[in-house]
Order: sequence, then C-alpha cells, then structure tokens
Amino acid sequence: MTIGLNAFLIVAGLLFAIGMLGVTLRRNTLVIFMSLELMLNAVNLALVTFSRYNGTMDGNLFVFFIITVAAAEVALGLAIIVALFKRRETIMVEQLNALNR
Amino acid sequence: MTPVTALTLTLLIPLASAAGIAFFLRRRGGLASTLSVAAAALLCICSFIAINARGDAAIVASWDWLSFGEFKVSMGFLLDDVAATMLAMVSFVGLLIHVFSLGYMKSDKAQARFFGGLSIFMFSMIGIILADNLIMIFVFWELVGFSSYMLIGHYLETEEAKAASKKAFIVNRVGDLGFLIGIVLAYWHFGTTDLTKMEQLTLGHPELVNAGIAAFLICGFIGKSAQFPLHVWLPDAMAGPTPVSALIHAATMVAAGIYFLIRISFLLPVEVLGFVAWLGTAVAVYAGFCAYAQNDIKRILAYSTLSQLGYMAAAFGLGYPGIALFHLITHAFFKALLFLGAGSVIHGCHHEQDIFKMGGLLKRMPITAITFAIGVLALCGVYGLAGFYSKDAILIAGGLEKTVIFILLTLGAFLTAGYMGRLFWVAFLGAPKSDAASHAKESPLTMVIPLLILAGLSVVGGMIQLWPEGLGALIRFDLERLHHAEGYSAMHHDVLIYGSAAWVVGLLGAFFFYGVGAKDDRLARIAPSVFAFLKARLWFDEIYGFYVSQVQDRFAAILSFLDVFLLRGLIIRGSAGLVGILGLGVRTLHVGNLHAYVYWFLGGLLLFWAFVGTVL
Repeated sequence: MTIGLNAFLIVAGLLFAIGMLGVTLRRNTLVIFMSLELMLNAVNLALVTFSRYNGTMDGNLFVFFIITVAAAEVALGLAIIVALFKRRETIMVEQLNALNR
Repeated sequence: MTPVTALTLTLLIPLASAAGIAFFLRRRGGLASTLSVAAAALLCICSFIAINARGDAAIVASWDWLSFGEFKVSMGFLLDDVAATMLAMVSFVGLLIHVFSLGYMKSDKAQARFFGGLSIFMFSMIGIILADNLIMIFVFWELVGFSSYMLIGHYLETEEAKAASKKAFIVNRVGDLGFLIGIVLAYWHFGTTDLTKMEQLTLGHPELVNAGIAAFLICGFIGKSAQFPLHVWLPDAMAGPTPVSALIHAATMVAAGIYFLIRISFLLPVEVLGFVAWLGTAVAVYAGFCAYAQNDIKRILAYSTLSQLGYMAAAFGLGYPGIALFHLITHAFFKALLFLGAGSVIHGCHHEQDIFKMGGLLKRMPITAITFAIGVLALCGVYGLAGFYSKDAILIAGGLEKTVIFILLTLGAFLTAGYMGRLFWVAFLGAPKSDAASHAKESPLTMVIPLLILAGLSVVGGMIQLWPEGLGALIRFDLERLHHAEGYSAMHHDVLIYGSAAWVVGLLGAFFFYGVGAKDDRLARIAPSVFAFLKARLWFDEIYGFYVSQVQDRFAAILSFLDVFLLRGLIIRGSAGLVGILGLGVRTLHVGNLHAYVYWFLGGLLLFWAFVGTVL
C-alpha cells in the first residue's frame, strides 16, 4: 500500500500551522525558536514529497541546502538566546521589550 | 614718482584714512578730523603731481580684477583731459570743504563718523573720475551713493535725516537699475566695457551706437544728477550737515552724472542728446520756480543746484560737452562757496536755517556776507565772474541750436537771479529778526579761509585763459567751436543783452518785491494760491507717495501673502507636517513586543503577495 501525495501535504501543512501558531502565541523565546524550526521542516517535507512525486531531484537538493542553512541558523540562534539569558536572566518575550521603553 | 603711482596714491590715501578712522579712531574725533584733512591735502598734492606729469597724452593703466571664464573685469585708470580737469576740481574743492568742516563740525558728537564718511566719499568720487570702464564706474557710483546715504543721515537722531538718507538711497537705486541694465547691454553689444575700446569701436563703426543702450545708461545720470523725474531726493538731502551738502550735493557727486555723460558721450546718439537737452531745460526752469516757495536757506540752494545741473545737461544735450564741463567746474566753485557761506551763516545763527528769521548778517558776519554776495553774483552770471562765461556759453549754444531752449534757459537765468536776490536781501540785509541772528558772529578762521579762496575762484574761475595748460582742453576746444559757429557774434551780442537783463531784472525785482530784510514772504501774503502751488512742486512727492502706498505696497502685500501662505505655509510647513503625521502613525507600530512584530511581518508579506498578485 502506498501513501498518497495528499497525506504528506496535509502532514506538512499541519506541521507548518503548528509552527506558525507556536511562533505567534508562545511566550518562551526558546519555544518560538523551535516552532520556527518546525516550520522549516514542514517546508522540507513538502519539498521532498514533491520531488518524489515528480521523480526529479530538484526538491531534494533544496532540502539539503535548507538543512545546512538551518543548522547554521540554529547554532547562531541558540547562542543568542543563551547570551540573552545570561544578561537578562529571562527569555520570556513580554519581558524583552527594552525597545519600547 | 610715476604718474600711475601718484594716481594710485590719490585713490588709496582717502581709503586708508577712512579705514584708519573706522577701525581705530571712532571715539577720537579730533584725531580723526586731522587725519581726514591731512589725507585730503595729500591726495590733492598727489593728484596735481599726476596731472602735471600727464602732458598731452592720457595716462592709462589697467589691472585684471576678476575673471569668470571669458569674462574679465578690470580696474584701471584713464586720466585724459576731462578726467584731469574734474580731478583737479574735486581734489581742490574737496580739500577746502574738509578744512571748512574742521570749524563747522567742531562741536559735533560724532566727528569721527563724519570725517570717516568724507574720506570714503573722496575715495569713491575719485574712483568714478579715474575709472576706465563702465563696471568700475558702477562700483564707485554705488560707493558714492553709500557715502551720500551715510552723510545725509549724519544727524541720525532726527526723523528728517533718517527719512532723507533712505529716500536718497532708494531713489538713486531706481536710476542705477537702469544704469546696470545699460552696462550689461553695452557689454553684450560691444564685448567690452572699456571706455577707450568702446570709443574706438564706435569711431570705426558709427552704426554701433545704440539708442536703447544709451537710454539705459543715462538712467544712472538721471538718478545721480537728480534730474526729472528722480529729482525728489536732492532737496531732502539737505538734512545732512552743510559741508556735505556743499561737497556731495552741489560740487561733486551730483555733477558726477554730467561727468559720466561726458565720459560716454561717444555712446549717445542724437535722439538721446536731444532728450537730455530738453530734460535739462525743463529741470532748470522747474527748479527755478520751486525755489521761490522755500524758506530754508539750504533748500533754496538745493533747488538752485538742480536748476544749474539742468543747465549742464542742456549744454551737453546741445552737443557741447566741453561747455557742460565748464559750467560744472565754475558751478562747483560758486555753489560750494554758497553752501559753505550758508553753513557759516547757520553756524553763526545757532542752526537757524529759515531766511525770514535771519537778517542783518552783513554787519555781523561781514566776510561771510561779502563772499556769499560774490557767490550770488557769480551764480547769476554777472559780467566778469565765473558763472558769466559758462552760462553765456550755454545760452549762446542754446540760441544757435534751438531757440525755445534759449528762451527757457534765459527765463531760468532770470528765475535764478530772482530767488538768489530774495535769499540775499532777506537774510543778509535789514535788521535781525530773531535772537539767534542778532547774536550771530563771524565764523572761525578755518571756515573763513575756504570761503575767501572759493570767492577768489568764483571771480577768476571762468577765465579759461588763466587756467593751467594741462587742464580744460575739451572746454577750450568747445568754446573755440562755439566761437566759430555760424551767427556767433550776433548771438553773443543778444545773449549779453538778455543774460544781463535777466540778472539785473531778477536781482532788482527781488529787491523791490520782497524788500530788504522782510519779515515774511510777500508772495505768500498777496498770492497765497500761487505760493502754495510753487510749494507743492508739482506734487511729485505726493504722487510717488501715492504710487508707493497704493500700487507698490499692495503688490508687496500680495507677494507677502503668497510667501507666507503658499511657500511657507503649504509647501514648507505642509511637507514637514505630512512627514510628521506619517512619523506619528508609524511610531504606534513600534510596540516593543516580539509577537506584534511577527504580525507586522505577516501583514507585510500579505501586502507583497497582494502586490505581486496584482490584487492591489
């Protein structure tokens, strides 16, 4: 039995929606960051699905690049969050509002 | 010393004196006056050295001053015969008036400012005389305008002096605007503003002479020489100290207009000359009438100056620039004498200027009175005195060229004798009519000596054969030309009769009509309407006042509205306000909450999407 295209796309869409909601609703910077990663990976899933469905390697190629860039981004982002915590002793979004003052 | 060095010194000595006074001697009146008089004496010596060294050829020297690409402005000297004659007169009369001022301004609070002004005036005037191109003439032309403004307004605590100085300055600007346009046109037309080069060009190609350019150029003359319709500033300028009136508003600066005409005579076509002749004649008669309704001794002399400037303009317009120059020089002598005499009287009478409050000055101030009488006679053209030779030459020229002008100028001569007679009989004879006049006493030596020297010059100044060799070649040439003109001897005969009749009738008529030492003006008493008409001076000031308040001020109000409302309100404030409102709006987006920024980000994405998808 093969799973159809639509199932993959629905999963990808759900993942993206969860990530999006996480970014917009969660207050912990670390969780927001994870949600961002979730959105990226939802896109990756969609790309792999299309690649498989079309029988070409284009989508897969994209995914490699995105994973590489995301890895770099995670390293950077986590470092920033750690530094932020060291300085402010909090990573909650509503307390990180120095620009408004 | 080379002639060019002497000329440079002549020009720069008064400037140095003015600068010295302005920077170091502002509170040291005595020192400042000494410096200024010494400068006047030195420049007089230097100018005579230069004139002596001139010989027959003109002294020419020129330096580049500014250059913009192809366009070069030069500063240079052109000391030809006319300039030498004028320079000799200005430096000598200027020196005498400086000396006179020593006495006249002795008790003035702002002596340093006054003498600094005199020095800067001498610098500017000599600049006009020596200038070899139109642009340089214009620069110094404006400088004399400035010094005139500064000196008219010397008594700056009085409203009259303030208003008069502004009036003189603004009225002159009107003329100078035309002058400036004329210079630009002349440069465009000839490719140069150098007097010598332009003369050569017009000699080779007479068709290059252009009436339009000439008309614009003579606007400068009309303003500076106070000719109709810009004559209104000169009588008011009498608010300045009397030596200033003598130096600037009688002998030199107002005559600079005539001098300028003589300098550019090769640029003026026949039509413009005819216009100048009629203009001068009209002013000569008009000013003669106006003088009858004035009671201020200086204002009478001011109208007399206007009238005599009219004579010079008439002579020039009739094609005899030499005779105009001749009258300019003799007029400078006797009018400077008359003004200094008036100054001496005013000084003696404690600043009383109304002739009907003087009287009996002949006994109390004999030297002033006698020299003044010589001045009056010279001005009237009594046989043998300076004014006789030049005025008769003008009348003869008028008689030979245009009979109407001759008749009008003879009428002018009669009027001159009449108002000068009125002034002399009323102010100097009879009994004193005020305390000031009864306590008058003769002025100090520094004031009397210039009077005596000028009186001497007013007697012999008209005898051209006595003049030094190097001076007055143009005058001699034009007199010769006149002597050999057709019908000269008959006309000379007529003029002798009519001219003499004019001054005899004028002086005697004034004597019998006004009476010796009269207390009030008989004309005002028996014919008040005529007197009021003369006093109104054809309502020029009123017409200009009406024009300025009704036309010009309204136009200015419209422009001001456009400026305030459109430019400042709408364009400048409006655009700044728009940006400000935008800023206010954008600032509310800046909330400092990360989640809000995510929404803005999404909103922006949607916007781009809509834009790319051509929904918007």
